[in-house]
Amino acid sequence: MTMEAIFKTMQDLIAEQFALDADEITMESSFADDLGADSVDLVELVMAMEEEFDIGEIDEEELTGLKTVGDCVRFLNSKLN
Amino acid sequence: MKIIIDAMGGDHAPLEIVKGALAGQKRWGVDIILTGDTTEILKAVEACGEKTLPHGVEIAHATEVVEMSDDPATVFRRKKNTSMGLGLQMVRDGKGDAFISAGSTGALLTGATLITKRIRGIRRAAMAPLIPTSTGKAVLIDCGANAECTPEYLVQFAYLGSFYAQRTLGLDKPRVGLLNIGTEDEKGTDLRRQTLALLRTAAEAGHLNFIGNIEAKEAIKGGCDVIVTDGFSGNILLKTMEGVGSIAGQAISGIFRKNLLTKLAAAAVMPGLKSFKAMMDPNKVGGTAFIGIAKPVIKAHGASNAEAVENAVGQAVAFASSGIIADIESNIHLMTIHGE
Repeated sequence: MTMEAIFKTMQDLIAEQFALDADEITMESSFADDLGADSVDLVELVMAMEEEFDIGEIDEEELTGLKTVGDCVRFLNSKLN
Repeated sequence: MKIIIDAMGGDHAPLEIVKGALAGQKRWGVDIILTGDTTEILKAVEACGEKTLPHGVEIAHATEVVEMSDDPATVFRRKKNTSMGLGLQMVRDGKGDAFISAGSTGALLTGATLITKRIRGIRRAAMAPLIPTSTGKAVLIDCGANAECTPEYLVQFAYLGSFYAQRTLGLDKPRVGLLNIGTEDEKGTDLRRQTLALLRTAAEAGHLNFIGNIEAKEAIKGGCDVIVTDGFSGNILLKTMEGVGSIAGQAISGIFRKNLLTKLAAAAVMPGLKSFKAMMDPNKVGGTAFIGIAKPVIKAHGASNAEAVENAVGQAVAFASSGIIADIESNIHLMTIHGE
């Protein structure tokens, strides 16, 4: 799966969860500052990522570094490829 | 109807929970599934005077318990087999019609969001108790699930509360008020002013019977049927009412206990006093539904006794058969605000 395809899928997941238009979400979007996400939003998103990309359970330590959409895309790229 | 109950959640679990569940089963004519440690539950059943599990009561075994010290955001990832998590999964999968827990509010809300899921399009589930007012009851939404809110959340709460009031209070067009520190449009914070504008638009479109800002003192006098607010101020309003009720009760009790004459007077007004006390008693209320979750999930008071659990079963039955979830699902297009 290419980085671009991962980003597109993430855009759809985030748009769905945060009730946003997909084109409002960029690689630089910060979950806390731009999307107003709280800890429950993030856990919800991570669970959706685990299911969508079939990557098993993500460790909590790995989660702490995921601050932006781009962080998630790069993380998923490293898991999938 | 089948009600799933977290037997291990709450200050007096499992004994009071099981006792209330068994009483609720008889009173409301429902089947019950108790989630939790089988041995502990069977001990509690025995302590209730039953030699075996009564007909219509089942146990769904879970080895772990969500503790008050557990982090709500991550507890269901750390603990895979809790009585609360299992109950939420079961109601999600249609193995019961509603789920009740007296366990941690934060964990139950998070679990309901992550496991049972919100209704599609709903940004946050809210806790909406029916509070007593001078003229009857009003829906207070939110009373503590969401300390920080956006205008979008509050607009959604207005709709959720309105549907809930239609279904539970039997009102055709519930009057919706936005809790504020004054009635004028410019009063309050940015959150209040932005929400007010959005709610006025919804009212002009005929979607809500929005009456504008309302102060707490007018709200509890019955000035509106749905009190919309963030969970922080809603919780303060609710707890203040409980505290004032308690002070008033103690003061009245002191007045009537003064001498023989006042004691005789107390006997004459006792039924009225009892109904006043019941109005403010959380055990009579039973629990509060999480509105916005895709299946009925009821939070019972943490200190629930058997009576509270029995009443919560009745509330779960009423909520599950009310049709409110279908109402919300079919009107979700009205509640979505884009471009914030």
